[in-house]
Amino acid sequence: MDFGFKKEEEDLVREVRAFIKKEATPEMLAETRQLGQIYGGPEGRKFIQKFAAKGWLTPNWPKEFGGMGASEMVTYIIRDEMAYARVPSVFVAAHMAGPTILRVGNEELKKEYLPRIARGEVEFALGYTEPQAGSDLVALKIRAEDKGDFFLINGQKTFNTHCHVADYHWLAARTDFEVPKHKGVSMIIVDLKSPGITIRPLITMAGWRTNEVYYDDVVVPKKSLVGEKNKGFYYLMAALDFERMVPPGLYWRLFDEIVQYAKETVVDGKRLSQKPLIRQKLSQMTVELEVTRLLYYQLAHMLDKGTIPNYQSSMEKMFATEVAQRVANTGMEVMGLCGQLKEGSRWAPLAGRVEHFYRWSVVETVYAGTSEIQRNIIALRGLGLPRE
Amino acid sequence: MNYDLNQDQQILKDAAHNFLQKECPTTFVRQMLEDEKGYTPTLWKKMAELGWMGILFPEEHGGYGGSFMDMAVLLYETGYVCLPGPFFASVVMGGLTVLEGGNEKQKKDLLPGIAGGERIVTLAWTEESGSYSLDHISTGAELQGDSYILNGTKLFVPYAHIADTMICVARTAPASSKPGEGLSLFLVDGKSKGVSVQVLKTLAGDKQCGVILNQVRIPKENLLGNLNQGGIVLHKILLPAAVAKCAEMSGGGQRVLELTLDHAKQRVQFGKPIGAFQAIQHFCANILTYLDTSRFMTYQAAWKISEGRNYEKEAVMAKAWVSDSYRRLVALAHQVLGGMGFMEEHDLHLYFKQAKAAELAFGDADFHRELLAQQMGW
Repeated sequence: MDFGFKKEEEDLVREVRAFIKKEATPEMLAETRQLGQIYGGPEGRKFIQKFAAKGWLTPNWPKEFGGMGASEMVTYIIRDEMAYARVPSVFVAAHMAGPTILRVGNEELKKEYLPRIARGEVEFALGYTEPQAGSDLVALKIRAEDKGDFFLINGQKTFNTHCHVADYHWLAARTDFEVPKHKGVSMIIVDLKSPGITIRPLITMAGWRTNEVYYDDVVVPKKSLVGEKNKGFYYLMAALDFERMVPPGLYWRLFDEIVQYAKETVVDGKRLSQKPLIRQKLSQMTVELEVTRLLYYQLAHMLDKGTIPNYQSSMEKMFATEVAQRVANTGMEVMGLCGQLKEGSRWAPLAGRVEHFYRWSVVETVYAGTSEIQRNIIALRGLGLPRE
Repeated sequence: MNYDLNQDQQILKDAAHNFLQKECPTTFVRQMLEDEKGYTPTLWKKMAELGWMGILFPEEHGGYGGSFMDMAVLLYETGYVCLPGPFFASVVMGGLTVLEGGNEKQKKDLLPGIAGGERIVTLAWTEESGSYSLDHISTGAELQGDSYILNGTKLFVPYAHIADTMICVARTAPASSKPGEGLSLFLVDGKSKGVSVQVLKTLAGDKQCGVILNQVRIPKENLLGNLNQGGIVLHKILLPAAVAKCAEMSGGGQRVLELTLDHAKQRVQFGKPIGAFQAIQHFCANILTYLDTSRFMTYQAAWKISEGRNYEKEAVMAKAWVSDSYRRLVALAHQVLGGMGFMEEHDLHLYFKQAKAAELAFGDADFHRELLAQQMGW
């Protein structure tokens, strides 16, 4: 066992931190916050393209496609640093679509997309969820008809978060209605500027935007098919094993600020951090964040030794996001009445970040598989419990 | 980072697992709960022959020069079977204290005996206050000529009733603002005049004892290490001992998971195995989460101790997390097992009791959260 980082990993962390400190502008950070950490805004693109020039956006990709050929451990370390620094940290192209193209795409597709993704030039939006297909994703209905030279796509997606800032849609569409549901889905890359696509905003209670997307006779060239036709659902599920992970950094950053606040704030003649109940709460969160960190890096360790995390990635996602909510609530408890003040109020602690994250953290245990779906996966795949 | 045991540790783990499966079935555990001594010399001897008792000690003291991580691997397996007997008391609590606090002669005198299983040592530390704070210690030791005279009451001393040697924490100078000041450690022969030992009736029936020291006269050279330095020694060994306890708890948790899964897969209600119901599945998923995370937190702390790095934060975080997790994990198991798990004839109650006793040992989660707050400088 070894629970430390290697020297070169620690050096890299310092380098990444120094780079972010130098290059992250207040405008970029404000935009990123407003977007809910997703990649695709103009300021974020400027920053990430410089970041990606170091190879840091896709460290684990092969050099020929713009990566560093680095380990998963290095990749995970960098992602956690990005999350902690509150720079864009939610990527669809670099973290989800790209790795699948790398695994199952043909040479043409790889050459067309991977180098641009690795350079941070393009962003994708996940095109999975539909009104009737949430946790039961395989119930998706959007129709991609094979017209010989092209696909003709009609239907609706919902909660597709990056669509208003991304370049391409990473679309799961039904290409065969005659076969069992999971055998009739294909992955198709769609230019979001294609005629016939309408994107309608849905504003979340965290203030950031997600979207409904309507396809009305959208024509997509056949070369945009990813891998084999009708294998899309398998690609999508496999990708989740590889890419489902939530870096603790974003939550840890807020927690560090809450601790700092507790150390500096005197209430009833005593610093908050000296009150036994507050000390208990802060300690508990420290422990839970540490647990999250160990679950997170376990995934990198497994991938690096050539094993595929299946229940472990579900456990990490479930645990990390539930901790996120407890961090937000702990912040609220520490701050008392003032915790509810929004950004802009002169009395708002931490510029209203706890109030914001308290709203935001609600969705953490919902997106990308609810905590309950993750527990199903842990029970069925990790423990071999029967389906019926 | 690397989350895997190395090859030697895996071999040790497998060997210990197989040995204990054979030698320590739960019928034996139950028998030992009723037994006055609480262990059998036969099994004790076999464990000593396997080298387990000297794993932590250097070779010149009759040990095997193993690492703290090796010890943790072993304790995971003893926890898995709820091993009764003074192994933890003698090897971890007694052994670590002698190793850390004894002078060369004392180490030479005591460690080979512990390693060989010929001498059982225990640590008499806590008192009637039931507190882990070293400031509460009121047992006193007074120098009279060439002897120390000890007076006081020690509680929760594991296996004192069969121990050859008790390491007794006593006050040799008044308490000051510095925690643990004015304390010294004394080697007390279990058969000394004035020592009376009573096995306490506890939740887990794990042979914790009350020890009354009434004008106990011990030779001056039985002072372990230096005068008034006992607090420093205890500070060095209590957190590693807590981590060692976490290893036992994690092993116990592993067994509880297995008991739960066996039941969930076999028990049929409403026409299907109850493990097919999502309520049960989610409980089981939570059990696995508590178990995996307990193991990681324990092994991280054990690794830091093994590597000679600063381990204090990781150790207190481990004991805080594992203390709560093990109790919660067993509570979930009880829900899955239903009425069966409440019956004496099922094994689950052994682990339920082990979980609480271990949670209380070396301080519970609240205690360690406060320690963490102190270490963080809050």
